[in-house]
Amino acid sequence: MECAEAREHLADLNRGQLGADLTEAVRGHAAQCPACQAGLEADAEIRTLVRAQVPRYTVPPALRASIQAVIETAAARPSPAWRRWLRLHPWPAGALAGAVCLLLLVWGGYRWMAKDPVSVLAAQAVAEHAEYIKEVRTRPAADPVAVVKGLRSQVDFPFEPIFQGDPQVQLVAGMVGELSGRRAATFIYKDRAGRYTTLFLMPGAGIVVPEGDRMLIETFRPHYRTASGRSLILWKHRDLAWLLVSDLDKSEVPAMYLKVRKAA
Amino acid sequence: MDHAQNSVPAEALKHLDALYNLARWLTHDPAEAEDLVQETYLRALRGAHLFQPGTNLRAWLFQILRNTFFTLYKRKRREPEALDPEVLDGLVPIGGATGVGGRLADMRDATAGLDLTAALNRLPEEYRSVVLLADLEDFSMREIAWIMDCPVGTVKSRLFRARAILKGLLRDYRQ
Repeated sequence: MECAEAREHLADLNRGQLGADLTEAVRGHAAQCPACQAGLEADAEIRTLVRAQVPRYTVPPALRASIQAVIETAAARPSPAWRRWLRLHPWPAGALAGAVCLLLLVWGGYRWMAKDPVSVLAAQAVAEHAEYIKEVRTRPAADPVAVVKGLRSQVDFPFEPIFQGDPQVQLVAGMVGELSGRRAATFIYKDRAGRYTTLFLMPGAGIVVPEGDRMLIETFRPHYRTASGRSLILWKHRDLAWLLVSDLDKSEVPAMYLKVRKAA
Repeated sequence: MDHAQNSVPAEALKHLDALYNLARWLTHDPAEAEDLVQETYLRALRGAHLFQPGTNLRAWLFQILRNTFFTLYKRKRREPEALDPEVLDGLVPIGGATGVGGRLADMRDATAGLDLTAALNRLPEEYRSVVLLADLEDFSMREIAWIMDCPVGTVKSRLFRARAILKGLLRDYRQ
């Protein structure tokens, strides 16, 4: 046993509030350690001294009378009816409170979604991005040409040339995903610092790119936001919606966007 | 039957002496101690419905008293002479002094109470309160942790350090 641990138990030991095993361990340590033995003795002696010598202040009679009067008044006053009911019916009260909270949550959720229709898509994309990263980390990088070719045959919408990597960023995997019920071609890129970016490509019908939070990148103005610490860029090109989810921050992600955007 | 709420007023008066005692140690002023105790009882009675029957009413009242003190009074203003524990750690060799038992035994005379009171008053509040709650009020480490809203390990370590500091201060008073 170390000194720090022994010292934590000295007060309990002197009060007889320590189990047999710990008592033996602390006493064993103190027997070998003069500092802890002195601490053990000081604990008992100062406790005795405090109890014997420290004066106790006496409550002034006026204060006692005043507190007594306050207490008697409080004891005589019945508690409000609603509080009595809550105390007697804790389960219905809890259920009622739970139902109200649930309704507020649902109502708030609808209002939030109505105000921000991309939020659900963004949240799902970030979650998928995190899952893909876990998966591709353990795999060897695939051939970029084969990745693009394979995905073209697996999704039911045509897409234009896709950025297949450069000396800074590598296209390491591709897979078919699903976002908000849409089948999406998904491309996972990794930069030299080991940071990942996922491109989701899906039919654009029904996806509205919000007018707010546009980022000016050269001549383009895609929608930009962050979610769960990831950067997201959403835009539409031809009939497709393009969504980038990236570990890169706001200052770095525009360069990645341009690579993808200009390849198309 | 609203037993839970009514049990608080009925039981609370039993703890008045102990609460007033700690209030005096916290405020160092009889009038402010009275105000603090009155406010503590008012808050306890207002919040009586929050008290869980069967739990520790005494510890609950002490917790209210201490929280009320920190809400109503400027802590720093009340601690002008308290020693900095970091400084004290450097000055007091924890457990390193010899002959402690004999020296402490010698202290048990008519002036010891005065010396001890002065030494206690020089402790920082969080150390002094731990000593008073543990030694005068016999609260367990767990109860003190709850009253002071800190981990049990912190209470134990504060108590150990407070003992060492007191030991050093008492030695100084005797010299």
